[in-house]
Amino acid sequence: MIEVQHLTKRYGRVTAVDDVSFRVERGEILGFLGPNGAGKTTTMRILTGYMPASEGRATVAGFDVFEHPLEAKRRTGYLPETPPLYPDMTVREYLDFVARIKGVSSNERRTRVEAVMRRTRVSDMASRHCGKLSKGYRQRVGLAQAILHNPEVLILDEPTAGLDPKQIIETRDLIRGLAGDHTIVLSTHILPEVSQTCQRVVIINKGRVVAVDTPENLTARLQGAETLYVHVDAPGADVTSALAALPGVTRVQPAEMRASGAYEVESERGRDVRRDLARDIVTRGWGLLELRPMRMSLEDVFLQVTTEEPAAAAPESAATPEEAPRA
Amino acid sequence: MRNIMAIAGKELRSYFASPIAYIIIGFFALPFGVFFYLYLDAFLRQSMQMAQYGGNMNVNQQVIRLVLQNASVIILFVMPMITMRTYAEEKRSGTVELLLTSPVTDLQIIIGKFLGALGLYIAMLLVTLLYVAILFVYGNPEWRPLVAAYLGLLLMGGAFLSIGLFISSTTDNQIVAGIISFVVFLLLWIIGWFAESAGPTIGPLTSYLSITEHFEDFAKGIVDTKHVLYYASLITFGLFLTAKSVDSERWRG
Repeated sequence: MIEVQHLTKRYGRVTAVDDVSFRVERGEILGFLGPNGAGKTTTMRILTGYMPASEGRATVAGFDVFEHPLEAKRRTGYLPETPPLYPDMTVREYLDFVARIKGVSSNERRTRVEAVMRRTRVSDMASRHCGKLSKGYRQRVGLAQAILHNPEVLILDEPTAGLDPKQIIETRDLIRGLAGDHTIVLSTHILPEVSQTCQRVVIINKGRVVAVDTPENLTARLQGAETLYVHVDAPGADVTSALAALPGVTRVQPAEMRASGAYEVESERGRDVRRDLARDIVTRGWGLLELRPMRMSLEDVFLQVTTEEPAAAAPESAATPEEAPRA
Repeated sequence: MRNIMAIAGKELRSYFASPIAYIIIGFFALPFGVFFYLYLDAFLRQSMQMAQYGGNMNVNQQVIRLVLQNASVIILFVMPMITMRTYAEEKRSGTVELLLTSPVTDLQIIIGKFLGALGLYIAMLLVTLLYVAILFVYGNPEWRPLVAAYLGLLLMGGAFLSIGLFISSTTDNQIVAGIISFVVFLLLWIIGWFAESAGPTIGPLTSYLSITEHFEDFAKGIVDTKHVLYYASLITFGLFLTAKSVDSERWRG
């Protein structure tokens, strides 16, 4: 449905998006994850035809966004970071205007506007001026605007930014409800959002794609070793070396910010050391208070790929400076 | 065409939804009324004198023409207020993202905005017809030169609007757009003043460039294709520059 190939965008000497490629299948929700300034908004603006790319291609619903912008735009709904509302128009007037320029036919327009207002729950504000709406309503009217012409592709730039927790949940439900008939790309820097709404994640940092996968696979893949959390009641004993001596255990360290007696035990990948660990602790006469696997959260994954990868890639990028012509 | 009308309608509605339209119309109608009163008063006193000596007075030439010539200067002051927000405000508030990601072409947006501004300008001119109506009630001016004069006002205003639209498209600050527009309009007016002192080659050129100079004939009731062409090309040029400016903004991001 969406295909992005080797997309690059430079602003003068600054490269905002650097050789980004990904695909989104029909009906999928793709999360676009990255710290602020990573190039999420720029990529989305290129996809929506707001600005052209310096290099590379992007197709939406089979239409190249640069070669056939009108066809692509007709099939795309876009919610920018700040909802593009006209403060002196009422919600209904505004949506009516958007319907006109999005090419909704005049006999459908009225029913379409009403339907969309119901769907995004803004009907009670229909005759309120957009400038007088609360942040939550503004966001919802923005969403209403994006789905008004029933586009195949929806591009949402931080749809939950600035909302309160209840509104965030409502908006997520709404977005999940839209998947299926629509293909959705949403950007965020809030991680739980991705694991809760998206089927696939693209992590982008400093303009480059650093990881593409499902949230589950990402967590699993980046977790190099299995880690167990163990809480032992063994005052004065040298637990660390005792546990480290067990077969299969690669590393033992005191757990961060926990009561004494808590340890993180890493083991070889694919090897379950829980039974051996429990038996050993019990035979030594210590008390086993807690033993559970530690799962890497998406937060950890995110921090790992956005902080460690660039460091690892540093020598490579030093060899090929940014200004060097691409092969 | 549908897209153009949608955008023009939106522009016009947003002028009238905010106080801007009323302030602009008031700002224009008030000095227009003062000029109208002063010239009419002078005309009446003169015609009283003329009646004693026996002579002919012409309302068209001695009231309407002079009032409209002065109006062309007021228009110059008012126009920046109409155009300064057109693009600058959309950029500032981010609504330009909606327009540029909708299935409409840049040209449709530009022409829509131009027609919206022109709509407000026409509303402004309609208010002045009230004064003219008074002349028709108490006298019998000729209507043909009047139509020519209003056509001239429309063309001249269109030229101001298209230049103002371009200036607004280059910035996201309406105040900056307003001030620059005002200075440019002022220059286009006073450049004609050099005509007399500038010598035989530069002189005609400066008077040709002056935007208000071309209105003189219209005010007299003459529709000369030379002047129509001047305004038409100025309008086209302004819209063309706007299109280029919007396009280059896209590339720079």
